[in-house]
Parts: sequence; C-alpha cells; structure tokens
Amino acid sequence: MALFITKRLLMALATVLVVAVLAFLLVHAMPGSPGAVSLGAGASQEAIDEVNRRLGWSDPLLVQFFSWLGAAVQGDLGISLIDGRSVSADLASRLPVTASLAAGATLLSGILGIALGVTAAVRGGMVDRVIGGVAGMAVALPAFWIGIIFVYLLAVQSSVFPATGYVPFEDSPQDWALSLALPVITLAVGGGAFIARQTRASMLEALQQEHIRTLRATATPTWKILYVHALRYASLPIVAAIALQFIQLFGGSVIAEQLFAMPGLGQAVQNSVSTHDAPSVQGVVVIATVVVVAVNLVLELATKFLDPKLRAS
Amino acid sequence: MIPNTAPAPADETTTAAAVLPQTPGQSAAKKFAGSKLFGSPASIAGVIWLAALVAASLTAPLWLPFKTEDQDFTAVLSGPTAAHWLGTDELGRDLLSRIFASAAGTLGTSMITVIVAVGLGTLLAMLAAAAGDRAENVISRVTEIMMSLPGTVIILAVIGAVGTNIPLIMGILGVLISAGIYRVMLGQAKSLQSQLYVDAAKVDGMGMAGISLRHVLPGLTNTIVVQAALIFAVGMLIQAGLAFIGFGPPIPEPSWGGMIQGASQHVYDAPWLMVPTGAVLALTVLAANAIGNALGKAPNATASHLPSAAARRQRAKSVAAIAAAAPAPKDSAKDTLSVRNLSVGVDNGVRLVTDVSFDVEPGTVLGLVGESGCGKTMTALSLLGLLPSGVSVAEGQILWNGTNLAAATEKAMEGIRGREVALISQEPMRALDPMFTVGYQLTAAIRRLRGTGRADAKAEALGLLEKVGIVDAARILKTYPHQISGGMAQRVAIALALSGRPRLLVADEPTTALDVTVQAEILSLLRSLVKDTGMSVVMVTHDLGVVADLCDQVAVMYAGQVVENGRTDSILDNPRHPYTLALLAADPHANHAADMPERLATITGQVPQPKDWPSTCRFASRCQFAGSACTVPVPLLPSGAGDGVVRCVKADELAVVGLDWVATDIPARHVLSLSETRTVEKDHA
Repeated sequence: MALFITKRLLMALATVLVVAVLAFLLVHAMPGSPGAVSLGAGASQEAIDEVNRRLGWSDPLLVQFFSWLGAAVQGDLGISLIDGRSVSADLASRLPVTASLAAGATLLSGILGIALGVTAAVRGGMVDRVIGGVAGMAVALPAFWIGIIFVYLLAVQSSVFPATGYVPFEDSPQDWALSLALPVITLAVGGGAFIARQTRASMLEALQQEHIRTLRATATPTWKILYVHALRYASLPIVAAIALQFIQLFGGSVIAEQLFAMPGLGQAVQNSVSTHDAPSVQGVVVIATVVVVAVNLVLELATKFLDPKLRAS
Repeated sequence: MIPNTAPAPADETTTAAAVLPQTPGQSAAKKFAGSKLFGSPASIAGVIWLAALVAASLTAPLWLPFKTEDQDFTAVLSGPTAAHWLGTDELGRDLLSRIFASAAGTLGTSMITVIVAVGLGTLLAMLAAAAGDRAENVISRVTEIMMSLPGTVIILAVIGAVGTNIPLIMGILGVLISAGIYRVMLGQAKSLQSQLYVDAAKVDGMGMAGISLRHVLPGLTNTIVVQAALIFAVGMLIQAGLAFIGFGPPIPEPSWGGMIQGASQHVYDAPWLMVPTGAVLALTVLAANAIGNALGKAPNATASHLPSAAARRQRAKSVAAIAAAAPAPKDSAKDTLSVRNLSVGVDNGVRLVTDVSFDVEPGTVLGLVGESGCGKTMTALSLLGLLPSGVSVAEGQILWNGTNLAAATEKAMEGIRGREVALISQEPMRALDPMFTVGYQLTAAIRRLRGTGRADAKAEALGLLEKVGIVDAARILKTYPHQISGGMAQRVAIALALSGRPRLLVADEPTTALDVTVQAEILSLLRSLVKDTGMSVVMVTHDLGVVADLCDQVAVMYAGQVVENGRTDSILDNPRHPYTLALLAADPHANHAADMPERLATITGQVPQPKDWPSTCRFASRCQFAGSACTVPVPLLPSGAGDGVVRCVKADELAVVGLDWVATDIPARHVLSLSETRTVEKDHA
C-alpha cells in the first residue's frame, strides 16, 4: 500500500510537471511578445524591447522555464501583463469559486446519479425506461443551453434564485449558497445523467454476479442484497465515474462561470487567453492541473480502499 | 466540458449466454451490420436525422430561403412566421438558414475529433496489446496522465497559442480524448491478441503489424463504430461550447454555439430564440448517441440473479397462474421431494426443461446427469426458485413438505431457502461475495437462518467450518474469498449452505471447477454430511464417476427431458437408453482397464438448441440406433429394471440384442445397419 501511494504521488508530480512544460511552451507559442501585450497598441518598439528584457523573454527557454518553476514552487506565478497584479493572488481569490462550484456539482451529480441509477436497475420495467430516456436527453443537451433555460425559468420568471453573480461564503453563507444554486444545478444535469447511467450498468453487472444467487439461497432479504452487497460491489466503478465527473466539471466550470458571471478560474482562463496574458494562462493551467490531479489521487486511493483485493496487496 | 470517454460499462454479459439460446459463430463484422443499426426505432430515427442534416446542409445554397447574412429589419427577433419558419435573430437573420448552413461545418469538424481520437486510441490499444507488458505499461501510464488533465483548460491554452483554428483544435481535442478510447479498447485488443489463432499466426511467422491488422482490428470494428458515434456527439457539444464562450468561427459566420450565445442575450425579450438551435443541436447529439447505443451492447437485466421489481411482479403473476392450475396435495411424505411434470421456459416461450419428473426420498442422493445444455442446472435452480431473470417455471409442480415450490410466493420461498433447501454452486470463488470476509458472510447467514446472536453466531461459524474439514477455521473467518484456494472456498460455500440446517441440498456440479484430488475430498465430505445429517441431495453432474460414487438414484437428462431414471446400480450396469449407453461408452472410468477399447466412443454432434428440439425423439439425430420408429413422440415407460423408466421406443429391442455404442465417425443410420450385421454374427457365434 505504501509503495502504491508513493508510486501514485510520483505519477501525480510527473503529471503536473508535464503540464507545466506544456503550458510554458504554449505560452511561448502565443502571438505577440509580453512587452507588446503589456503595453498595448501604439507602444514604441524600444519600450516593448525594454519590457521583454526585464521579463527575461530573450533568455534561453530552459533558463526561463526553470526560473519560472523555481518561483512557482515558492508560490509566485508571476505578474499579469494586463493589470500588473500578482497571478498567484488573483488565482487564490478565484480558486474557492470554482472549487465550490465543481465540488457542489459533483456532489449533486453523485447523489442524483446514484439514486436514479440504482432505482432504474432495481425497479426495472417502466421506471427504468423513463429514467433511461431522461438521462439520454440530459446528456444530449449542452450545459450552457440548460443553464440559460434555468436562468429564464428560475431567475427571470419566478426569481427564486439570483440570475448571475457570486457571493463569497465569508460575506453571507446563505447568499453564497443561493448564488451557487443555479450553476450547480446546471452542471449537475449532465453529470447526474452520466453517473446514473454508470450506476445502473454497474448495479446490473453486480446483480449478475453468482454470489448474489448464494445470498438469495441463504435467504438474505432483498433490501440487503441490493443496498449492502450489490451496491458495495458496484461502488468501485461508481466512484471512478465520480472522479471522472469532477475532472470534467472542474473544466466545465468555464461555461458555467461565463454564463453566471462568476469570478472563478474558468473566467480567468477565458480572459487571459483572449488577452494573451501569458503568465496568467500559464498559472491557471498549472493550478487547475494541480487541483484535478490531487482530487483524482484522493478518489483513486478511496477506490483502492474499497476493493479488498487491492487493499490487502 | 472535456467528456468522459469511458462509456462502455458492463459490456460483457457472459452469463446471458449460459441461459438464453444464442447462435454461435457470429463474426464481429456481422454483429454491427444492419440488423443492429436498424433494430431500434431510436437508431433508425438517428440515422435518418443525421443523413437529412448532412444532405440539407450540403445542398443549403440551393434551397435555403435566405443567405446567412441577410438581415430582415422588418422582422427582428421574430418567432416562426411564414417567411421565417424558425424565426429570426436580433439582426433579423433567418434562423433556419443559419442553422442549416452551419451544420456541415459543425459535423465535419466534429469528424476530425472522431478520426483522431478513435484512430489514435485504437492504434495505441493494438500497439500495447501486441508489444508486450513493458510497452503496455508505458502507454497506459501516459494515457492515465492524459485522462487526469483538466482538458478544457488545456484546450483553451492551445487556443491562446494557435488562435481559433477550429480543425486544428478539434484535432488536439481528439488527441486528449484518445486516452479514454485506449482505455475502452485495450481489454478487448488484449483478449483478441491472446486468441489461439493469433498464436498460430505468430508461429506461422506473421509479423506484429500483420496480426494486428488481420486478426485484432476486425474484432474491434464494433467497438470502434460505437465509440466513433459517441465521440462524434461529444465533439459537437464541445465545439458548440467553445463557440458559446467566444472561441468559435469568426463573426459573422454562423455556428450553433455562437447562435445560442446570441440567443442567451435575448432570453428576457425573445426566449423563443433559444429553441431552434438548441433543439437541432440536442437532436443531432441524441441521434449520434442513439446510433452508438444501438450498436453497442446496452447493459440489460437478462441474466440477473435478482430480478428487478418489475420482473418480480411479472414472475409473481406466472407463479399465481401455476398455483391456480394444480393445487398441491397435502398428503405428501415428510422431507420427500417430488418433481412432477416440471417445465421451465424462457419468457419468449422457448422451453429449456420439459415435463421432468423425479422423486428424492429423505436421506438419499439423486444424480442429474447429462451434457451441458440439457437443462440440469435450470431444473436444479427451479427447486430453490432461483431461476435467472427471463427464465421461469412454465408448468408442473415441485412438491416439498406439502408446498408446491413452483407456485410459492417469493416471501414463502425466502422462508424455505437456506432453512429447508440449500444450494452449492459450481464455482466456489464466484459463489462468495468478494467484498466481504468469509466470517461476515457466514455469521450473517447463521444469525439470519438460526436466529442466533452475534457472539454465538461466531462460535457456530467456527464449528461449521471445522465440520466441513477446515483446520484453521479462526484464520479463514478473517480472510476474503480471493485469499483462499478453490477447494477451501467450496468448503466455505458448503458451510454456508449448511448454516440453516437444510433438509435438501441442491448441488450444481460442486466439484467441476476443482482439482482432481480436491474433488475427491469434497465428494467424501458430502457423503459423510449426508450420512450425519440425514439430508437428501440433488446432485447435478456430468461425471458418471461422481454418480457411481455418491448417488442412489440417477435421472439422465437429454435436451430438457429425463430420458432414463432409476437406481444407480441398475442404470450403470444395465443402461436402457442409447444416450445413457453412449455416456457410459464415452467415460474412461466406466470401461474396465482389461477390456478398454482402443478408442473411446463419442457422441457425434451437439445437443441441439432448445428452440430446435423436435416433438419426436430428441436424441434421434445423434443416435447410432435411430430408425424410422423414432419419428414419433416418445413417452417415458417402465424400463423393466426395478422401478426404472426409459424414454426410447427401441429400449426393449436394444435390451434383447445387447448392443454396444461403438466408437465411430460414421453417421448414425449406417452404424445401425452395420451393427445389425454385427448382431447377426453374434447370434451365429
């Protein structure tokens, strides 16, 4: 187990490093030098060159990368070319927004998905077909379309929820929850449908296992077979699906943040890509990777813990 | 926004094959051909929609009422009208024209993602399967890294570097998705790579590339098509999403995502604007998904060991019908099992077991013998009411202590299972729950079936394990099933079956999956348990040695029928049915070493599929003695040996002439004439 954890940690570290290199190279392939981006149109070539020299833009790539990496390890991701603010500070203020959005949506997807998937597998017949049909529709509709419809129905028509914006938890927990509600529900529609399908398939597979027959042959009550034994057997692929879902939702928050005007990481990527703000792009890619990889690692360890075969080895 | 590309859950429903008749020998290519694609209304609709969309889009300049940039300021933000069938946007541009004109581009660029993702994923999977463990490890690690990346963020960073070059971006997206495709394909590619004919091709000197192309790729075709359809849908959604956040084709060129973005600005004053584009996008994604799902093996509940609530309701109805058909006589002897005219059928009407009758006296062992596919296991499972989903008792009675088990409700059966009738199955490893310790499973059963408390149950579990011959019982209680050997697991399974002190044990080939030495141990354990507890046993087996060893009575089953039934000694010494004769002739242990024939006899052909069972003698097509007399329905008649019965019109005739089943490949009717001349010679001698 210790060896397994060490291996996974090294893998995670390697993943982050690969992405850091990738982000660095992408940023260098962006059109326009930092000086040009920073000073905007109409700046003189001398001024641009001066900024570029100050930022070390003409140094060898390896030198630039390692000086960036050295600073990044200490928490300094550089300075935005657009507004001169610290990228680290900016991202630190944005991370909670995206994290609460993605975590909330994953949680809701998981609850909805497991409940619906188990119900479909256990009840069968008409119930199964209806849930299957709704889930099929839900994965086919793009999240941004669903989001707009929710805004129209729940915010504009009935003003149950605020249509857009984000209230930090520290300011008002209640408003924080309300401001998250619509984006979270929007993202959970597709996510819940995906997990419901996975759960249904895993439950059916579990119920096809021969040990289910043994349990019935020893008069185990149906509820216990379903919710203790079969669900336990199905839990491995379900947890894996939830982990995948989190990765997807963390990325998918770009759309939700745009739609609901939330100051999260997704909005930062979108803005910095549009404005060619190299240090910001680089920083946000790396931070997003670190979060996704870390959560993935935790969920993977949880999966291993759920499986007696792997736990023992 | 980057999709989950692990959409092939629970693909292998292998257990279904054991239950439901299937046609063997379907090639992979045949499987995905037309029948499946046009098998469901949803996929037909999907194909029609996609074809229509592509056709309409490619011919758009010819028929579209407006150009995509035409602005009609008299009808800004209008709903559907005669002039603008789907309405107009904020600049008065015709929605219908813009949607269809941009369809070809959307579909085409999504195909780039499909080709890159599925092509690269398949290539990597074939490479990993062919090049051995090291290469597989490397590729798997790399794809794991790719799958754990925040794909959307990376795609956006790529856009930052290369601009909104949509074909290039969709290609890079394909690279990211290929990791998921690789995951889906790898297992299948590896299993294809390990086929015997691939080994043969390697011995023949065929190269790695040749094998991959000739033998592995064709087998992957179906999965490739399924994944392509699903990724196509994913590609469209992502492309629309990118356009929605402003990384689509340059304005004013129309794109579905961009149009929805535009519509979202007017959701307050013109909500209709959301509908047409959203509907077309959703329909197109639905169409691709429907095609993928129709071609893929959708997980179904056919082979479930615990039928769904809907299936249980269905079964309760048919059980009630059986109960109404014939009330159980109340005067049956205690602990005697009487199966009367039992028929078991698939829900589509095909019978797997027809008109089976037998009795098991208290303390005796009945052997159910026959080849695979003769209905032995289905007969055995019906005794516990544990037939898999889609299979149920169609007719007949299973009488046990005054109850007809075939007509008992699920609740009544729950009171009987474990406590009166218990089960041991074929594969002990699969019969135990891999997620729980032996101790948990055993004590839970003991507490439930004996009503003992937690502490006592543990002591009783230890006692039971010792009773079934496990020496270090305390250690075994703490283990998980995967930590013990097959023989040990079968002992645990037997202990589990004994936990309710049953009076009848149904054993479904309990030794088939075990080593020969372990087989002998388990058989001797069963023999001593029968002696000690006085319970009776229904033993399903295809091993006549087990029958000779353990059984008092034998029922020989062929193609869902009992063809011969009687005392073990009389049947083994004096078989009357040609099938029994053939089974004995084919068994090396049944032939004495002294007069062991040069080659053992075989029974040519296979047990026919249940749907092909004739109303006449079912064995005639494989029988060496079959003749014109065999083309009538054959009843079960007294065989003349004790209370034995046999189902063969020629039984008496064969008993008189004393024929042997001979080792030959010659078709049946020739053997008959041949053996007739041989008997003539015998008579002369």
